[in-house]
Amino acid sequence: MLETEELSKQFKGKIAVEGVNLHLERGESVGLLGPNGAGKSTTISMISSLIKPTSGDVLLDGKNVIKDPGKIRRVLGVVPQEIALYEELTAYENLKFFGRIYGLRGKALEKNIEEVFELVGLTDRQKDIVKTYSGGMKRRINIAAALLHEPEVLIMDEPTVGIDPQSRSHILEMVRELNLKKGMTVLYTSHYMEEVERLCDRVYIMDHGRIISSGTKDELKSILSSEETIMIDLDRPYPDLYNDLKQHDGILQTMETETGLKLIVPKGSRLLGELFQIADRHQAKVVNVHVQTPTLEDVFLHLTGRKLRD
Amino acid sequence: MMRHFLWKDMIIIVRDRSEMLVLLLMPFILIGILGFALGGILGGDTSTIDIEVALVNEDDREAGVTAFVDLVENFELPVEAKEELISVAKTLNPGLLLEEMLSDQELSEMIHTEEMTEDEAQTSLQSGDIDAILTLPEGFTYKSLEKMVFSEGSGSQLSVMLSDQGSLYAKIFSDMIDGFARNLNLETAIIAAAGEDTAQLGESELTGSNIGGIITVSKNAPANSMQYYTIGMAVMFVLYVAGTIASKAFVEKQQQVFNRIILSGMHPSAYLTGKVISATALAFLQLVILFLLSALIFRTFSLGSADFWIGMMIITLVLAFCVGGLASLLTSLSIRYETEGVSSIFTGGIVTLFAFAGGSFFPLTGMPNLIIQLGNWTPNGAAMTAYLRLVQGYEWTDLMSPLFRSVIITFVLLVISIIIFPKRRSVTS
Repeated sequence: MLETEELSKQFKGKIAVEGVNLHLERGESVGLLGPNGAGKSTTISMISSLIKPTSGDVLLDGKNVIKDPGKIRRVLGVVPQEIALYEELTAYENLKFFGRIYGLRGKALEKNIEEVFELVGLTDRQKDIVKTYSGGMKRRINIAAALLHEPEVLIMDEPTVGIDPQSRSHILEMVRELNLKKGMTVLYTSHYMEEVERLCDRVYIMDHGRIISSGTKDELKSILSSEETIMIDLDRPYPDLYNDLKQHDGILQTMETETGLKLIVPKGSRLLGELFQIADRHQAKVVNVHVQTPTLEDVFLHLTGRKLRD
Repeated sequence: MMRHFLWKDMIIIVRDRSEMLVLLLMPFILIGILGFALGGILGGDTSTIDIEVALVNEDDREAGVTAFVDLVENFELPVEAKEELISVAKTLNPGLLLEEMLSDQELSEMIHTEEMTEDEAQTSLQSGDIDAILTLPEGFTYKSLEKMVFSEGSGSQLSVMLSDQGSLYAKIFSDMIDGFARNLNLETAIIAAAGEDTAQLGESELTGSNIGGIITVSKNAPANSMQYYTIGMAVMFVLYVAGTIASKAFVEKQQQVFNRIILSGMHPSAYLTGKVISATALAFLQLVILFLLSALIFRTFSLGSADFWIGMMIITLVLAFCVGGLASLLTSLSIRYETEGVSSIFTGGIVTLFAFAGGSFFPLTGMPNLIIQLGNWTPNGAAMTAYLRLVQGYEWTDLMSPLFRSVIITFVLLVISIIIFPKRRSVTS
C-alpha cells in the first residue's frame, strides 16, 4: 500500500537518511525502531510529504506521491512527536478547528469528534482548555486530532514520550484497537522496544539514517538464534568488572543495565563459572543471574553495539 | 475556510491576558497619561512652551487710520462727535491691540514673532522652523475700523496658517488669536451696548460688528493633545497585532501545528492568507475599540458626526489591511527561517522606531526632513497623517495621499511575504 524506494535526505550536505526502503501492507502494524537521532522522524516526515527527499520515492498504491503530495495527505493521519495543538483552546475547540480544515462540517464533524473523544477516553474533559491537561491527556488529544478525518494510514512519531504509565498503556491499547478492529494501517516509530514488541507485526531497525535490519519480531530475534543473554544483577555498579568483561574474548556484547550487567554470549558457551570467578576477583556481590532468550533490545544491541536509549 | 482561522486566532488572542494587556489596556492608559499630561501644560506651567510665529504684515496701519479719519471727516457730524470717533478708532485700532498683546512680557516669553515676507514665512513653515504664520491682510486696519465703528463693509480677517501634523504649539497660538478676536468683538459690542457708540448708530446695527474674525488656514481646529495621542498610541499599538500574529505563527511552526494544517491538504498560501485576514480583523477591532473608548471616556471625538466616523472607519480599514500585510511579512520570515527573533525584534525595537518616525510620541515639526519622509512611509505614519487631517477637517482629497501610501505599503509587504513564504507543496526542502 505504502512504500519508499531508496529514500534519502541530506541537510546542508550532512546525511540524515540514506537509502531507506520500507513498505506497509494494508492493515499492517509496522514499527520503526531506532535510538534518538537515527533518522526516524526525518523518514516519516518524507513519507508524509512534509519534507522533500533529496532522492528516492514515496509510493502510495504504486503511484509516486512526491510531486503530488495531496494524494497521500488525504489518506494519512500523522501524530507528531510534539503536542501539535492550540493550548489556549479547549480540546473540543481544537478538534473542531482541525476537523473543519480537513473539510468536515455539521453532523459528520460532531459525530467524528464524539467518536475520537470516546476512543481516547477524554469525553468528560473535552470542554477543558488544553493547557490544563496532564502530559498524557495532551498526547491523547494529539492522537485524536490525527484520527478525526478517519485516515487509512496512521503514522505515529514517538507518541508516548514523557508520559505516565497509565496514559502510555491507554495509548498502546488504543493503537492496537485501531489496527486490529478498524483495520487501520499503522507505522509506529519509537525508541521504546517494549512498545514496538507489543504493537507491531513487523519491525524496521534504523540507525545512523539507514535501515540496518527488518522483519517480523521472530525473524529479527532469530538473528540471535546462536546467542543467549546472561543478565547479572549486582548490589552496586562495578566499573572495573564491566571493563574486564568488555575485554573478554568469549563475550560478544557487554552493557550496563539499571541492576547490573547484560552479556550476549554464544549459545552453550558455559561461561557462568568463569563469570563468577571474575566477579569474585573484583569483590563484586552477585545478587541474581539468569539466562534468557534474546529480545529485540538484544538484537538492536547486537546490530549496533549500543542501547536503544543511548 | 478563512473564517475558521479567524475564529481560532480571535479566541487564542482574547484568552491571552498578556496580549490583551498590550493590545488594549496599555495604549488606553498611555492615551490617558499623555493626553492629560499635555493638557496640564496647556493650562499650567508655560515655561516649556516655545512658539515660533512669522508675522506677515501686509497692512499699513498709519495709512489705514488716516483713511479712516478722512472717512469720518467726510461725514456730516458735529465736530465733537468726529473727534470722539477718531479717538475711539485710535483706541480700538486692532493692529495696535494685537501688537500690544504679542509684546506683552509674559506672552512674549512663550511666543516669538518675527516679521517676514509671505514667501519667507511659507518656506519657514514648510521646513518646520516656525509653528504658524499670522497674516494681517492689506487694508486690515481700515476695514476693521470701518466694520467696528460704522458696521459697514465686510471687515477684515486675520489669517493664521498652522503647520501640519496638528502641532500642539500651533494649536495654542491659534487659540490665543481666536481669543484676541473674540475679546475685540466683545469689547466693541459692549461699547455699543453701553451707549458709548461713536456714531449714534443703533444698537442693533452694532451687535455682531467685529473685525471680521480669523481664518485658520489649517481648515479646522488642530488636533488637541487627547486626539493627538489617541491616534498616536492607536497607530503605534496596532503594529503589535502584526508581531503577535507572527509570534503565534512561529509557535504553530515550532509545535508542528503548522505541519498538521498543511497535512490537512491546505495550501501554504491559504495559511498565509488566513494570517492576513486574522491580523486585519484584529487590527480593525483594536483600533475601533480604542477610538470608541477614547471618545466615550475622554470625549476625544464627537460621537455625533456620521461623516467623521465614516472617515475614521475608512482610514482604520486601510490601516488594518496594512497591518495585515505587515503580519504576512513577519509570518513569512518567522516560518521561513524558523525563528522567533523576527517578531521579537519587531515588537521590541522596530515598533518603537516606527512610532517615533511616524509621530506617535510627538509632532515631527522641526525634525530632519529624512525622518519625516521615512515616517510618512511607515504604516503608522501614513495612517496618522490621514487621521490627523480628518480630525483637522481637511478635504477627502487631502487624505488620499497618505491613504495611497498605505495601500502601496500594504501591496509591497504582501508581495515580499509571498515571495519569501515557502511555495512548494512540501513545506521544508
